[in-house]
Amino acid sequence: MNAHSGSAPMAASPPSWTLPLRFALRELRGGIRGFYVFIGCIALGVMAIAGIGSIAESLTGGLAREGRTILGGDVAFSLSQREIGEREGAFLAAYGTVSRAATLRAMARAAGGGSTLVELKAVDGAYPLYGTLSTEPSIALDQALAERDGAFGAVADPALLSRLDLRPGSRIDIGAARIEIRAGIVSEPDRLAGGIGFGPRLLISVAALHATGLVQPGSLVRWHYRVRLAGGGAGDGAVAAFVSEAERRWPEAGWEIRSRGNATPQLERNVERFTQYLTLVGLTALLVGGAGIANAVTSHIGRKRGTIATMKSFGATGYRVFAIYLTQVLLLAGIGAAIGLALGAALPFAVNHLFGRVLPLPIDPALKPGQLGFALLYGMLTALAFALWPLGRTHDIPASVLFRDDVDGAQRRPRLPYLLAAALATAALLTATIVLAYDRKIAAIFVAAAAATFVSLRLIALLIMGAARRLPHSRLAPVRLAVANIHRPGALTPTIVLSLGLGIALLVTIIEIDGNLRRQFAEALPEKAPSFFFVDIQSGEVDRLEHYLRAQVPGARIERVPMLRGRIVSARGVRADELKSSPDAAWALQGDRGITYASEIPDGSRVVAGEWWKADYSGPPLLSIEKKIAEGLGLGLGDEMTVNVLGRNVTATIANLRSVDWQSLGINFVLVFSPDTFRGAPHTYIATLAYPGSATASQEASLLKSVADAFPAVTSVRVKDALDSVAGIVANLIQAVRGASLITLLAAMAVLAGALAASHHHRVYDAVILKTLGATQRQLLTAYVVEYALLGAATATFGVAAGSAAGWLVVAQVMNLRYVWLIEPALITTLAAVAVTIAFGLVGTFGALNRKPGPVLRNL
Amino acid sequence: MHILKDIDLHIGQGEAVGLIGPSGSGKSTLLMVMAGLERADSGSVRVAGVDLSAMREDALARFRGRNIGIVFQSFHLIPTMTAIENVAVPLELAGEPRAFALAQKELAAVGLAERLHHYPAQLSGGEQQRVALARALAADPSILLADEPTGNLDEATGRQIIDLLFAGHSKRGKTLILVTHDPALAARCGRVVRLRSGRIEEGREAVRA
Repeated sequence: MNAHSGSAPMAASPPSWTLPLRFALRELRGGIRGFYVFIGCIALGVMAIAGIGSIAESLTGGLAREGRTILGGDVAFSLSQREIGEREGAFLAAYGTVSRAATLRAMARAAGGGSTLVELKAVDGAYPLYGTLSTEPSIALDQALAERDGAFGAVADPALLSRLDLRPGSRIDIGAARIEIRAGIVSEPDRLAGGIGFGPRLLISVAALHATGLVQPGSLVRWHYRVRLAGGGAGDGAVAAFVSEAERRWPEAGWEIRSRGNATPQLERNVERFTQYLTLVGLTALLVGGAGIANAVTSHIGRKRGTIATMKSFGATGYRVFAIYLTQVLLLAGIGAAIGLALGAALPFAVNHLFGRVLPLPIDPALKPGQLGFALLYGMLTALAFALWPLGRTHDIPASVLFRDDVDGAQRRPRLPYLLAAALATAALLTATIVLAYDRKIAAIFVAAAAATFVSLRLIALLIMGAARRLPHSRLAPVRLAVANIHRPGALTPTIVLSLGLGIALLVTIIEIDGNLRRQFAEALPEKAPSFFFVDIQSGEVDRLEHYLRAQVPGARIERVPMLRGRIVSARGVRADELKSSPDAAWALQGDRGITYASEIPDGSRVVAGEWWKADYSGPPLLSIEKKIAEGLGLGLGDEMTVNVLGRNVTATIANLRSVDWQSLGINFVLVFSPDTFRGAPHTYIATLAYPGSATASQEASLLKSVADAFPAVTSVRVKDALDSVAGIVANLIQAVRGASLITLLAAMAVLAGALAASHHHRVYDAVILKTLGATQRQLLTAYVVEYALLGAATATFGVAAGSAAGWLVVAQVMNLRYVWLIEPALITTLAAVAVTIAFGLVGTFGALNRKPGPVLRNL
Repeated sequence: MHILKDIDLHIGQGEAVGLIGPSGSGKSTLLMVMAGLERADSGSVRVAGVDLSAMREDALARFRGRNIGIVFQSFHLIPTMTAIENVAVPLELAGEPRAFALAQKELAAVGLAERLHHYPAQLSGGEQQRVALARALAADPSILLADEPTGNLDEATGRQIIDLLFAGHSKRGKTLILVTHDPALAARCGRVVRLRSGRIEEGREAVRA
């Protein structure tokens, strides 16, 4: 065959690069129907990541902006159990205004009989150097704290007022001092620098503190010296020069120095660490959404086969067509990302507007371009990673589909360049996830877990479809229909398995973590756990207290241990701030730690390396150190460690390593010294009391009150109260995790709904044909229920297994807590999820059931 | 499965050929082979002096864009594009800077100057097919392929389309290959090729009209 033509081909100028964009825009003019799930998935994920990042940066921004207010000065010096010397004081005063404050825990006893632990803070007349302390009723601080009518004034956290039923004018006793409450505290500028408190704040004057008699040698008081540099707005250079001069002049002062630039390093680290966890949850939302993206693109391409074939018959090449649809997908992803970015950027402002006043942290809401940039990057990379594969198929859609349909072509694997591009986008997404993470190890574990989950769910879908194919034919028509629906070409199985599987796995993970954390604080108190800690027991009082307690609670188990405060100065001859430490061990180097000495191995400890010293050992100082901390700091037997206690440096040699059961809640110390080490140094005792059986709340309350009355200087901490306040914080964190996870679940549901909607046309067709052939509505309905129930059951099994494994990983491996498999709530949730899926599916297909065959058949 | 067997057909430049035969005789397949939309398993296919069997997919697509215009039974207009945009598609794909001016001229030639910015769904079947015809002629190809172009139209409308098609052939010197199962319509072509079961039954040799 030889058709000959003499006419010259039209002179073609080079095709314009804008053509894909023009064609893509033309197609989008008709609206974005069919892309709601696509856009929704991107928007949700981008919003989560942008919002979490922006809030975190607003928080750290707030902390940085408020640095000197939170710190209480440009530079703060703090030290345990003693005040600074005169010469150091003169040195500080030469640089600017100095404000002196002391913090300690104490018992407040109300005239009415109640008593409670308070976080006592004593301040001088210069307080606060920055920010303002506001009270209700509003009165000047010097008036509020002044001594009047035989009582020192105080302002208190409203929580204390309600706990002891106090109001302005009420009087309480602290140690030997009579205190009159003059007002409630509305805001305390430097509250955050103090860290987590176990009791409500009570603010008094330094003179009142001395009157309490609580400041004894060895008592657990911490002194703070805040300096406001002279000359008003001193630059950061001046601050740094001051700090380094202080370090140079007083290398052995034993004080901890903080400048306004790192007022709350621990808090900032925690914000960053927690942000990362939430970001990973946000990424999960994007990845789950990825399935929706792939589905949406696949069905879009399916709808456009005619258009693509038409373009091909008029000269469009495969790459041209791909470029047009890639542009379209990028435009749609851009729309989704823009929505997500707008919502995410608004989130810090919304949080500030709604919760700014009750938020315990300062928040500095602003547009955070860096965070928004990351979120955009994640969003677009996810879109590409999941869209490139189905998009690549457009290249080989033949123009001949205009003459006859080819069914199998839709699922063909795209050409190599597209596979490579998809792989590249995926690799870029994973790399970004790991490289941009705060803790890369955790990010890498997340990436591996996500990849494993995706691959497993894909395999499970294939298994289910394979099994359905091999199943013997059921004699019941609905069952046969259901089984056929599971494995037919283009079945919903892979999508449902992926979205439902991920959703259930995530739900179960959260339930397991959530429940296990709650158990730790509620039920999981060990049998022999003490009910009370008593701290600040003076040496002269310790025997009397023990007798008193034995008389009050016959048969009680009472432990007492000497306690000092000390900070690690150096180890192996390396200064503490230059010592390399693993993240798990870093806390041991920060600030003061409780330390003790003992002649016998402490209860709850086991020597795992080296030997315990003889009971009558009196040689040079020896040290026993907890094994994990020793490993984290790279220390072993025979290494030397120097600790500053009460301004004196003590160097001891590590004689043995111990493993400690922290969860016994006994008195455990990381550092235990040989008995003679601190001979002559003033110190206090710490004691615990465990009831012989279990104690009721009222028994504990009456013991608390009687000890407070009989030993006003001893601070009693009820273990349940302390755990409750920690549990409260953990509960707040869990709320944040739940919030972020909700977004992921929404994404999973959107994917599921999208998939079901996409199959609607197919369902209507099936239903109509089957009705024409004599199927009843009841048979069709049964078939659908059986189909979804089979899929749901198989997927749920995986979800529960994967979620439990992830829960175990987080609880046992990351948090180092005991893991209990909470099967019941997991199963209940899973059943609910499957029920919701079936309901979703039925809502989608119900319309199909009611269609009259006639009109549908005419329009086929 | 071989749909076409022992096909040996030569169509000269400017000829009008009617391809007729019962359903399943291979008319449409032969048309697709000529357009480079389908490949022959063996033998050679030369169109406009070029051997199609040696060309890769993308080269075929560009070749079609320059040399072949196709009219389909069910129009195959792109539903998201207006009439003028549909007609401009082959021109734009070929990188023609005057794409829209030329497209407007072609639409005017088929009597749709007033319908430029209507979407396919807003046009009648006959109007849609006229847009499709304008699109097939827009890039000024040397060969016009039509696959049952009146199959979805009523008789009167179909006649208009056929008149326009033959006008394109006679006034612009296009080679026209028309697939139909209407013997009367086929008879309007200078030469009729009858297919049955994938073989040419008659009309192999060119006949001077």
